[in-house]
Amino acid sequence: MFKKTIAAVGAGVAAVALLAGCTAGAGSEGTDASGDVTLTFLTFETPNLDAAYWDETIERTNAIVPGVKIERLVAPNNDRDAYARQLDSTGELPDIMVAVNPTGLAEAGKLAEFSEDELENWIDPTSNSFDGTIYQLPTNTQTIPNMYYSKAAFEKAGVAEVPQTWDELLAASEKVKAAGITPIVVNGGGADTWANIYALDGLIGTEVYAKNPDFLAQLASGDTDFSDPDFVTAVTKFKELIDKGYVSPTTLSKTYAEGQEAFLAGDGAMYPMGSWFSVAPDEAAQEDLGVFAWPSDDGSLIMPTYTGGGLSVSSSAPDVDKAKEWALAWSQVQENNAGGVLNDGLFVALKDFTVPEGTTKLYDESLALYNDAVENGTVVTVFGNEGGIPSLPSGFNAEVNAAITDLVNGQTDVDGFIDQLNQKYTELTQ
Amino acid sequence: MARRRAGEEWTVSISSTTRVAPTRERDEHRATPRSNGVIRRGLRRWQEAGTFAVFVLPSLAVFTAIVFVPIVWTLAIGFTDERATRPETSFIGFDNFVFLLTNPSFLQALGNTLLITAIVVIFTNALGLAIALMLHKSGWLYNLLRSVFFTPVILSAVIVSVIWRSILVDDGLLNTTLRSIGVTDPPGWLSDPAIAIYSLSSIMVWQMLGFAVVVYLAGLAGIPTELEEAASIDGAGPLARFRAITWPLLAPSLTITTVMLMISSFKVYDQVAVLTNGGPGSGSTATIAFEVIQTAFVEQRTGMASAMAGIMLIIVAAANLIVLRVLQRREVTH
Amino acid sequence: MHRFTWIRPILAVVVAGFFFLPLYIAIVNVFKPSSEVIASPLALPLQPTLDNIIGVATRPDGLFWSGLANSIQLTGVSMVITTLLAAMCAHYLVRSEKAWGRVLLGIMLLGLMIPPAVIMVPITRILREIGLMATVPGAILVNVGYYLPFAVFVFMGFVRSIPRDLEEAAWVDGAGKFRTFWQIVFPLLRPASASVLIFLGVWIWNDFLTPLLVLGPGAGNTVTVGIYRSIGTYLRDYGAVFAFMFLATIPVLIFYLLFQKHFVRGLTGGATKG
Repeated sequence: MFKKTIAAVGAGVAAVALLAGCTAGAGSEGTDASGDVTLTFLTFETPNLDAAYWDETIERTNAIVPGVKIERLVAPNNDRDAYARQLDSTGELPDIMVAVNPTGLAEAGKLAEFSEDELENWIDPTSNSFDGTIYQLPTNTQTIPNMYYSKAAFEKAGVAEVPQTWDELLAASEKVKAAGITPIVVNGGGADTWANIYALDGLIGTEVYAKNPDFLAQLASGDTDFSDPDFVTAVTKFKELIDKGYVSPTTLSKTYAEGQEAFLAGDGAMYPMGSWFSVAPDEAAQEDLGVFAWPSDDGSLIMPTYTGGGLSVSSSAPDVDKAKEWALAWSQVQENNAGGVLNDGLFVALKDFTVPEGTTKLYDESLALYNDAVENGTVVTVFGNEGGIPSLPSGFNAEVNAAITDLVNGQTDVDGFIDQLNQKYTELTQ
Repeated sequence: MARRRAGEEWTVSISSTTRVAPTRERDEHRATPRSNGVIRRGLRRWQEAGTFAVFVLPSLAVFTAIVFVPIVWTLAIGFTDERATRPETSFIGFDNFVFLLTNPSFLQALGNTLLITAIVVIFTNALGLAIALMLHKSGWLYNLLRSVFFTPVILSAVIVSVIWRSILVDDGLLNTTLRSIGVTDPPGWLSDPAIAIYSLSSIMVWQMLGFAVVVYLAGLAGIPTELEEAASIDGAGPLARFRAITWPLLAPSLTITTVMLMISSFKVYDQVAVLTNGGPGSGSTATIAFEVIQTAFVEQRTGMASAMAGIMLIIVAAANLIVLRVLQRREVTH
Repeated sequence: MHRFTWIRPILAVVVAGFFFLPLYIAIVNVFKPSSEVIASPLALPLQPTLDNIIGVATRPDGLFWSGLANSIQLTGVSMVITTLLAAMCAHYLVRSEKAWGRVLLGIMLLGLMIPPAVIMVPITRILREIGLMATVPGAILVNVGYYLPFAVFVFMGFVRSIPRDLEEAAWVDGAGKFRTFWQIVFPLLRPASASVLIFLGVWIWNDFLTPLLVLGPGAGNTVTVGIYRSIGTYLRDYGAVFAFMFLATIPVLIFYLLFQKHFVRGLTGGATKG
């Protein structure tokens, strides 16, 4: 019996091993018989940016740049930054990557440089660059956060006007809370601790970056630390939202997906979130939602904005020039970017680009808000999203996320929060 | 005699790391005369070397290349300030270790790891034994139930974590049920920093329980029924019988489950990553393995991460050594 | 005492029922549409659907099937090689009775106690040196090296419980040590082999990190990596995730059922024989 079992299992394994021999272990280096160079391309998949979307963008690009064979890789989870770094530490950094933070990789010489000449078509070629050296194509703009709100919740609570100032935000939150609705939705449960930062991001935009655009540079040079009065004010105001019950531990424990679903189902009035959210609600929900900028003290329009997030190329790609050519081409195909607009809510930061038909109502409103900020308001960077120089050290965001959860759960106070950030920052930069 | 035998075989099988095989038997076999003359001795030495080369060398070579060298390598990196993002690296002696042993978040991770290990070892053993006693009967029902308890063992930690997360989240199955029976404010099993680590440990106990059940069932099957019957006739109650006979004879089972559970719980990572990401908040469920991976791959501080791994290795080795010694002494006494 | 015999089966069934509940949730939800999974996770699938399973099995990217083929290959070859090498090594160490054998085992067991992630970077550097990085043989080598100590540990315990006379006799008859081992000893190690195979099978099948890093991003992934990918952060489709898990678990389950009879005895070093 035992021998038979062993034999059967053995035979099965052998058969499958033979079959699988051709699927696994395919080499990823160099050129093949036809002279095409094979390049790996690290992507990520979401319900909107699915396999078909990526494959189509690759096909379109290959039509423009001949002689390239693309092997598409998929990050196994949402944390593609960590995955890219794991691959790098094992010597397997992909040749081309999308939306991987270049910090660290760039300083270590792992990424290929782009010149400003090559980026003629880009609106802000040196955004998030390393003192002018470009390692990641700044193809997309995102505003982080916008305040998305439920019109039904505002109506039910008797909030007639969208809050423009900090005091109006507090007043509106009070009414919403009195109506039995969570005023400001902050999520970050389970593995999604990264998602809890957006309310604080809004406050750091209005309280820190709007007043002192050089805060991060000063932090990097050691001229200031997180006990900077502006930063303390931002955290204190966040604490005020918690103390008054506008940001609650209950919603905090939801994951990003659970939280978004709950907000769309009517649980919560205001949802501070990046502009990518604008394409998530279905058509019916779009009608019920609106958007405004995170309110500043005096009501002036301040918009935290991140421009970057595009492709980068490994300096050890089998053919770096070809890989760069391909990456530049991929980034400029109208349909590729249109897909990013429709599926991921991206604002495309190219001179030669037309917004496609069929964008959602919230997308249009978010984009209008951004354009308004560019013309009439103040555009600032997004805390924790900065790439290049200056930026926060790799891994620092996780500490901020942990500290936020502690603050919301009452495990720490403003002073403890500031101390924790200072300590971690010293640890990571010393 | 029967009692002695069951115990002895267990002892031999499990404590092979530290104890010499029964000497009497060995000497008997040695006595066989086989060699005389220099040539034959030389030939034998060649054969001996050949046997070693065939039987041990392949294992040794693979182990050395894949585990031993990397461990030594890792330990060595722990004495440097290596960072993946910086080309130059220098030797900094014990700085990393000094930093870690005074760093609250590392000490918290250390404490969490020890707490999880303690909970998993104690509760898995206790519940596993209780269930094994309950299932120690023949019949299809008990065979079926044994498989039920064993099934989680073969699932991946990711699967188990996803299933349990759907039960334990704030508005998950458990709290919905609790609310429906009138509990107004059920605890946040995964969202309360004071509770999350116990939820995490309980999930691990659930997953590994079947392993303990199976090992204890095997141990129980090795206890001759005559012993129990004899004690029963002597008037010993069930509890007295358990204390005097069953429990001492299960000592080897306890050793094997404890060592295996320690091995699995010291390096717990997957459950933490899926269920809590080290939170809620600052490190309330972070384990050493979690910290090591975070430090190495996210913060890209390989020197510091290697020092963490070094400390972890020392603690794990010490704990296992102590536990093995204590448990095996018990086996010997009985 | 005998009057209460009905208590045991009832107690056993109740306890097992509670224990089984999470598994029940996972299984019934495979056969329900995702909307029902969230609305009423406990309910029986009144109108069972195979849509989730079909959906996973017919994914356009073939994630499940390519993963399955890779997993079977990787797990099968790794565990067979490990079992054979470990059996020989353990047999030699026990029979030669050298003091360094125990020291060696002690060192080997230490390797089992650290998370593989910790030593993965040096491992990948070594694999690169010997040209096996990002290959299936490289991943197999890592599995063999990492799990060998456990297998040796189990086999050593078992070999001690086998009387020496049999192999001595064959030896005297002129059969070489190698032949003696394969013809006489290895068949006797059957229960130990079964438990080693089961544990290795389960561990390697469920391993996420080794395939992810050693096979490299381009080499095709295993089913377990596929589960990670289908969970993602944008998890909404619970039905599909549970279906993926269900399908990914079936091979291990079958494997366990095939070997379970032998496996308990192997772990316990033959103690249950008498």
